[in-house]
Amino acid sequence: MEWLLWFSKPENTKPLALIIFFFTFVGIVAYVYGSKKRSEKLESYRDIPFLDETPGEKGDTKDTQ
Amino acid sequence: MNFNFKHEWIETNIGLMAVLTMLAISVGGLVEIAPLFFIDKTIEKVEGVRPYTPLEQRGRDIYTREGCYLCHSQMIRPFRDEKLRYGHYSLAAESQYDHPFQWGSKRTGPDLARVGAKYSNEWHVQHLVAPRSMVPESVMPNYPWLLSTPLDISDTAARMKALRKVGVPYSLTQAEFDANVVKFGETVARQLHIPDAQKNLLEQANFGNYDGDRSGISELDALIAYLQVLGTMVDFSKYTDDAFVKYR
Amino acid sequence: MAVTSYSGAEQYNFDIVKKFAVMSLVWAVVGMFVGVYIASELAWPFLNFDSPYFSFGRFRPVHTTSVIFGFGGSALFATSYYVVQRTCQTRLMSDGMASFTFWGWMAIIVLADISYVLGYTQAREYAEMEWPIDLLIEVVWVAYLILFVGTIMRRKQPHIYVANWFYLAFILATALLHTFNNLAMPIDLLSMKSYSLFSGVQDAMTQWWYGHNAVGFFLTAAFLGMMYYFVPKQAGRPIYSYRLSIVHFWALGFMYMWVGAHHLHWTALPDWTSSLAAAFSILLLMPSWGGMINGIMTLSGAWDKLRTDPIMRFMIVALSFYGMSTFEGPMMSLKEVNALSHYTDWTIGHVHSGALGWVAMITFGSLYHMMPKLWDTKIYSQKLIEWHFWLATVGIILYIVAMWISGITQGLMWRTFDEFGNLKFSFAESVAAMMPFYAMRAIGGMFFLAGTVLMTFNMFMTIRQGKRENAILEAKLTAKLANA
Repeated sequence: MEWLLWFSKPENTKPLALIIFFFTFVGIVAYVYGSKKRSEKLESYRDIPFLDETPGEKGDTKDTQ
Repeated sequence: MNFNFKHEWIETNIGLMAVLTMLAISVGGLVEIAPLFFIDKTIEKVEGVRPYTPLEQRGRDIYTREGCYLCHSQMIRPFRDEKLRYGHYSLAAESQYDHPFQWGSKRTGPDLARVGAKYSNEWHVQHLVAPRSMVPESVMPNYPWLLSTPLDISDTAARMKALRKVGVPYSLTQAEFDANVVKFGETVARQLHIPDAQKNLLEQANFGNYDGDRSGISELDALIAYLQVLGTMVDFSKYTDDAFVKYR
Repeated sequence: MAVTSYSGAEQYNFDIVKKFAVMSLVWAVVGMFVGVYIASELAWPFLNFDSPYFSFGRFRPVHTTSVIFGFGGSALFATSYYVVQRTCQTRLMSDGMASFTFWGWMAIIVLADISYVLGYTQAREYAEMEWPIDLLIEVVWVAYLILFVGTIMRRKQPHIYVANWFYLAFILATALLHTFNNLAMPIDLLSMKSYSLFSGVQDAMTQWWYGHNAVGFFLTAAFLGMMYYFVPKQAGRPIYSYRLSIVHFWALGFMYMWVGAHHLHWTALPDWTSSLAAAFSILLLMPSWGGMINGIMTLSGAWDKLRTDPIMRFMIVALSFYGMSTFEGPMMSLKEVNALSHYTDWTIGHVHSGALGWVAMITFGSLYHMMPKLWDTKIYSQKLIEWHFWLATVGIILYIVAMWISGITQGLMWRTFDEFGNLKFSFAESVAAMMPFYAMRAIGGMFFLAGTVLMTFNMFMTIRQGKRENAILEAKLTAKLANA
């Protein structure tokens, strides 16, 4: 269990944490923007707020673009 | 490469999403708060800081009740102008028995961290009852009811017991009392002894007669007793100018 | 059957949304009135009337609690229940629980306000409620979490729309913050009075970790959830970029929790903590502006709506203020700037550019969009919305300009030396210099309050009109059935 002591030193854990968080962030960005197919699928979720509209609803509905 | 991870697992699984969100939002607080409880460098070792006497603590209760912290800070920063205006910058040790802390965030009125012993009791009485009679520019409310309301001392011991439970070294037993004698000296230790709380409070109030009215003990007695002790516990003439720099 | 599909109670529970929406307006009027009152007390101290019950120190938490938790909180309950139902296309999991959160939350605000006036307070900013009220909050909040998550689990859509993520983060973070910041020891089980578990430096850090994240999650993340639904709906166009919203969410959620210590620069808090907080505060600018851009760009290609649609204008101005105050915030977290700005009115101005400019304006926009739909009618008066918009905007500008000038003046006066190296001004002189700006701020607040009152009237008339229309419709329907 000696190796656990390595984590108790801030000079070790600070860069480690930085690396973990940095790569998590890069991972999220890469995932989100990485593939064209996935991008298209993600962007299709934009329409969810408009899915439950009924034609006769008063007020604003989605523009026909 | 078969990249199996799918953000959809998160997007479509509310439980997993909640867990990950919780993780993301917990890191910051853990990293910044947890060490403060373990790093002994956080609080300086200085002589003189002691828990409040029963009367001072009751005064502090009134200070919090009236929301004084919304206009007065108790945290002097290490700048030249603040040193000239208020005195030595505040140390963490000086608020170590403050439950809750009253550092404040706004100075509509001046900082009070070292207001103790700066003005006479008579000045405080007049100023609290009618601030503009002493400081014409002041926008402070008048607090006449503090002078006319008798201090409720019935639950003094209960209050000290609650504070003892959260770590203030008020003594209940002989052993705790003896420990306080070693730590703070006998005079202070007596004031911190819970079984004598009411007696101590009455003695200090009658002897100090903070509000100038001998007919009874008012809330103003307690509040002024508290104000007069603020910032006076540490004798800074005993320390060099940079004695505390290493703690910052 | 379009008419009955939204107000008809089968598909969605809109009854709870209506209740919270109405109470949100009621608390807005109450909280902002108290705000104007305490602002006036600073300008004209006789208004304290020598009474404990009206004195600034006891009244100020009434203002903050009523606007943050009463107005903001009710608006969040209303919109989150509305958004989660409509984006998941399912009814709330339990009507009883929804009702419980409503009555519980109302009781909390009323009890809190009364207890402050009577002198019961924990003396922690924005967490002044004493321990019995804190426990009630805990219970209501857990019910809210269960109800929200339970409803999402019943969704008809496989994907959880991003607005719900923000609401979820807000509910979770608030639970976490509330629990740890309110740990306290009551002096007696029959007494309201308690002492906080922590003291001094640890207590300060815990409180500002809470204090800033109340801003971060209660007043930002949750209202971003509102933004991600209502801005696209009102614009009639989907959000600018869904991918950006995902990055926005994780970055914002992660970073906000680090920045609380920037409220404690130059104090007895260890330096590394507040420096770390300052660094994260700067970084936070990026997700904040990412979100703002996402909202504003939603309108790209339909900018003409800004001219014709006053509701849209509320939303876009809200996003602009969001952008402005999330720029000002990181700037004020720089230690050099903070040395000047801290303890002054500048902070108060900054808070209100966020609270009035962002939180209140996006809420007004969303309520204007949502309330006519709930009562299945049109807004009573478009003209009044216009008036509200201008009163609110002028009010905010008066407010924050007054606070900028007074804050910077204060900060500079405190640190001015004369030719002998002594302080040039006494504290009292700096107080006297504030007088015109305190008056100006109070007037700005009055403008804003006037706008809110107009809105409340407008919505009251809208609801009345909606009820009348429905009654007529129902009468016709019954007549038809009787004839058939």
